[in-house]
Amino acid sequence: MAGMLKLAVIFLKIGVVFFGGGYVLIPLLHRIMVDQLHWLTLKEFLDGVALSQLTPGPLAMLATFVGFKDAGFFGALLATVCIFLPCTALMLFIASRYERFRRIDAVNHFLDGILPAVVGLVFAAAFNLGRTSLTGARDFLLLAVGFLVLQFTAIAPMAVILGASLVGLLLRFA
Amino acid sequence: MALREIAATFFVIGATGFGGGMAIVALVERRCVLEKKWLGHDEFMHGLAFGQLLGPFSLNSCTFVGSRLRGPVGGALAAASFIAPSFLLISALSLLYFRYHELPELKSALLGSNPIVIALILVAGIGMARRKAARLPAAAIAAAAFAAAGLFGVSALSVLVVAGCWGIWKGWRAGRMR
Repeated sequence: MAGMLKLAVIFLKIGVVFFGGGYVLIPLLHRIMVDQLHWLTLKEFLDGVALSQLTPGPLAMLATFVGFKDAGFFGALLATVCIFLPCTALMLFIASRYERFRRIDAVNHFLDGILPAVVGLVFAAAFNLGRTSLTGARDFLLLAVGFLVLQFTAIAPMAVILGASLVGLLLRFA
Repeated sequence: MALREIAATFFVIGATGFGGGMAIVALVERRCVLEKKWLGHDEFMHGLAFGQLLGPFSLNSCTFVGSRLRGPVGGALAAASFIAPSFLLISALSLLYFRYHELPELKSALLGSNPIVIALILVAGIGMARRKAARLPAAAIAAAAFAAAGLFGVSALSVLVVAGCWGIWKGWRAGRMR
């Protein structure tokens, strides 16, 4: 029971400090999980990061992996809830006050400045993914076809992804 | 809006949104803003902006949309539904991992989808740019943010804080001119 409490407190703390996005999180979790608490070996930590990147969830899903090692399924559940609790609570607060915030001039000006930057960050995300994963003419061809299909048809992205995987397989055997 | 529909929508996004991060945002925008018209483009982008300031923005944008539909209960439900598939997948893989100390060969199975994930993000980005960054000076801010985060590795948080301060400064100056 004391172990579960410690698990909850540690992941709540991490949840409070990881404002600003996932890549602050890796060095932070590494220091806490591997160096300070010795909950994971370095290899386990790296495998856990790889595992959490396989899923659609954010990188902080690493908490599930650590919680599972520490206390099985319920440890995983507790760690996951705790790491996401702070940001979710704040987000709920902001969303519930949204109309009131919009009536404050300074907030509106702040948002006016931020929105174009968000657009830039969306393209930066695509660029960073592309830089590490687009390797040959085949990838760029898939990208171009995928872009046209998603831009001009209402076909569900999942169907396009499955279709592309199929085409990728066929091209490999051709 | 029925809670059941919120849960189902975000569970599906959480189960099929491979690529994570911005790919999720693109999916949420496509499903909830373009197709279902649950909220407006501006409102969604404001939610995304707040979400990026607060960390895991894929989860945060789901929370925001759910919350705008059905208050805190809707928001918490959207967040939990979105996380559930990843949670179950990681739990199952952790079980295998800590028992056998091997990672299954899932990576190669998902690699083929990568160019499409990038295409999905680009389509969402172009739609947002048309609405929010088509003219100067917004286009210049977008280009600078892209360069800072894409080419020079500046963190998203720093980019957003600088852009927000620029917005406040511009608003303050416009107010003084009047």
